[in-house]
Amino acid sequence: MTPVEYGVGIGWRPEIAGYVEHLPGLRFVEVVAESVHDVLPPGLETLLSRGVTVVPHGIRLSLGGAEPVDPARVEHLAAAAALLGAPLVSEHIAFVRAGGVEAGHLLPVPRTRESVDAVVANVKRTQAALDIPLALEPIAALFDWPDDDLDEGAFLTEILNRTDALLLLDVANVYANALNRGTDPLALFSRIPLERIAYCHVAGGSLHDGVYHDTHTAAVPQEVLDLVASLCSLHRPPALMLERDGDYPPAAELTAELDAIAAASGYPAVTR
Amino acid sequence: MSSLADRQAALVAALTSGAPVPAGFDGRMVEIARVALLRKRAGEVAGQWPALSAALGTDWLREWSAWAETRPTNGSLRDGWDFARDLLSRDALPREAGAELASREAALRYDGKTSPRARRLPAIRSAAGTVALQILGRVRVLYRN
Amino acid sequence: MDTWGISGPTFLLWYVVALVAVGVLAAAHRKVLFGGSRHTSVAALGPQQVAYLNGGRRLALYSSLAGLRGAGVLGTSPDKTLAQTQRLPAGVTPLDTAVWNAAGHRLRARDLDKDQWVASALDQLQSGLEQSGHAVSPAQVKAARLWVFAPVALVVIGVARLIAGEINHKPTAFLFVLVFAATALALTMRKKNRWATEAAIKDMIKLRGQHSYLNPGQKPSYATYGATGAAMGVALFGAASLYDMDPSFAAEAEVQRQSVLGIGSSGSGSNFTSDNSGSSCSSGSSSCGGGGGCGGGGCGG
Repeated sequence: MTPVEYGVGIGWRPEIAGYVEHLPGLRFVEVVAESVHDVLPPGLETLLSRGVTVVPHGIRLSLGGAEPVDPARVEHLAAAAALLGAPLVSEHIAFVRAGGVEAGHLLPVPRTRESVDAVVANVKRTQAALDIPLALEPIAALFDWPDDDLDEGAFLTEILNRTDALLLLDVANVYANALNRGTDPLALFSRIPLERIAYCHVAGGSLHDGVYHDTHTAAVPQEVLDLVASLCSLHRPPALMLERDGDYPPAAELTAELDAIAAASGYPAVTR
Repeated sequence: MSSLADRQAALVAALTSGAPVPAGFDGRMVEIARVALLRKRAGEVAGQWPALSAALGTDWLREWSAWAETRPTNGSLRDGWDFARDLLSRDALPREAGAELASREAALRYDGKTSPRARRLPAIRSAAGTVALQILGRVRVLYRN
Repeated sequence: MDTWGISGPTFLLWYVVALVAVGVLAAAHRKVLFGGSRHTSVAALGPQQVAYLNGGRRLALYSSLAGLRGAGVLGTSPDKTLAQTQRLPAGVTPLDTAVWNAAGHRLRARDLDKDQWVASALDQLQSGLEQSGHAVSPAQVKAARLWVFAPVALVVIGVARLIAGEINHKPTAFLFVLVFAATALALTMRKKNRWATEAAIKDMIKLRGQHSYLNPGQKPSYATYGATGAAMGVALFGAASLYDMDPSFAAEAEVQRQSVLGIGSSGSGSNFTSDNSGSSCSSGSSSCGGGGGCGGGGCGG
C-alpha cells in the first residue's frame, strides 16, 4: 500500500451499513469483492463520496487451487477495484474449490514447493489483470497437510518474494493457528516481512471442543488485541480493521471493539 | 503420488460429500472442520430462509446437517431452496415455512441446477398449504393455512 | 339517425371533455386537500409517526411492536397472545406504554386496536399528525372520494349510449375505450388507503433513502440498530421488516406481512426476488459466504 496511514477501519457489510456510515473518523473500509456489482449499495456510495477508501476483498478466487484461476473471477475483481477507485485489492492464500466442487470454505494449501509454484502462478495471472497492488492473506487452518515441508513463515515469505505481492495479515488467524498448533504466535512476526503488510484483519472467534474457530461472529478476544499491540510495537501497519461477519452485536459493542483496536495500535479512535 | 489437483479434490470431497478423509490427515481435525462447515452453512441458509429455519426451530441444525452433509454448497439461496423442496416432497415442510417457499417459487424460476431467475410472466405457486401469486414481480400470499 | 339525436363525434367530444374536466378538477381538489404544509418536515418525527403516515394505524402498531420486541420487553405466549417479558424502559411513547400494558392483559396482537388505551394512543398520534399537516384526515379522504360520483355518472351515461348504439347498429369501439377510461378513473378515486399529505410523502421518500440500510433487502442487523432501528425499519419498509427481524414473533403475533404501504415499496415481504449475489447471506458475498472461510470451520480469512 502507499505510505498513507488509514488507521482503524471496518469490514463493510450490508447488515451494518447504517452503523459504518455514521462513523465520523472512518478513513477506510473493506468490502467483499464478490458482492460488488455495477450498482453500488447506497451506504457504500455515501462512504465513497466522503472520501473513505474502499478496498475489495476477494473470497472466491481460489488462488491456492491447483487449476489456473478463473479469468472471469479475476476480471470481476479488477472491475470491482476500478469501480471503487481502490488503491489495492486483497485475496487469500487458500483454495475454495477443487474438481468442480465448492468447498464453501477457505481451505489450506500444502506448504510444499509444488504448492508454492501453483500459488505463485495464480497470483501472477491475477496481477497481470490488475493495475493496482494485490495483498495476500494467509488463512487460519484447522488442519495441516501431511507433507508440509516449509514452515508458515518460509512458505509465506517465498510467495511474497516471488510475486512482489503485499501482505494482508489477519492477527486473529495468527492467534488461532498458534493456539490450535500449540506454537508461539509472536514467533511468526520475526519470520515474515512485516514492512510488506498493507493492512491487518482483527476478528473474534470461539472455542469448540478445545479448538479455536476463527468465526468472525464473536467479540475480539483480549489475546488478539495484545497481539495487535505486540505487532504494532515491532512495526505498525498502515491500517487495521475489525472484521465481523455475523451475529452482529449492538452498536455500542462494535464501537467498543473499534476503540480497543485503536487503543492497541495507537491510532486515533474513529468512533467520535 | 497423485497430482495436487486430485489431492485437493479428495479433501473437498471428504469435507462436503461424506467421502473418506485422505490418508495422512488428522482425521479428528478434518472432522471438526467438516462439522463446523455444516454449522456455518446452516447459519447462512437460515439467514436466507428465515421462516424455514424458524419453523424447524431446535431441529433446524440437525435436520439441515443430515440433508447437507452429502451435498456440496450451491450458495445459501439454492441450498435452502433444495432443502425446502426436499422437505416438501417428503411432506415434511412445516406449514409456517410454506409462504416463504411458495413466494419464491412464484417470484423466481429455479430449475434446481442453475441460479434462480426472475419470472417475467405472472405465476401462482403453492407449498405446504400456502398459495402465492406473482404479477409483475410483486408477490402476494393469496391463501395462508 | 343519430342515437339520442346527438351525432357520434359530438358525443365523443363532449364525453372526452367531461372526462378530462372531472380528472383535472378532482386532481386540483385533491391537491388542495392533500397538499399538506411545506414547512413541516418528517425528519423530526418518531418511527411510529412515520409508520402511521406510511401505513396507517396498523403500521403504527406494528412499528411499536417492533420497537418493544427490539428492546426485549415483549414476547408471545403459546396461545398467540402477547406477553410482557421485561419492564418497560424509560423514554418510550404513549403508544408503546399502551401496547405494553395491553400485553399484560394477554391480548392478541390483532386485537390490540380494540384495547381502549391503545386506541386512544393511536387517536392522539393521528390527530397530532393531522394538525401538523403531515397526515390527511378521514374527513379529507372522504371529501376527495365524493368525486367518485362524477366518473360513475359518466360510466352510466356511456354504458347507456353503448347499449343504444348497439341496438341502432352504430360503431361503438371509441366509446367503449372511453367508458373503460372512466371506469379506471372511478376506481382510482375510490382508493381509501391514504394517510400522508403530498408534502409528507415527498419527505418520506428522502427519509427512506437516508435509512436505506434498514431495507429488508440489506438484511439489516437489528441488534446493531437497536429498538429504534427496528421500529423505523417497520415504519419505512413495512411489516415485512418484522418478519425479517423475528420471524417466529411476527408469525405468532399474526402480523400481516402485506400491510398496505402508502408509497410504493417492498410490500411483498423480504427479498424474495433478490438473486443470491446481493445479500451477504448468500454464497456470493459475505466473506463467510459459500466460498469464504471465516465461519465456524476455522479456515479464517
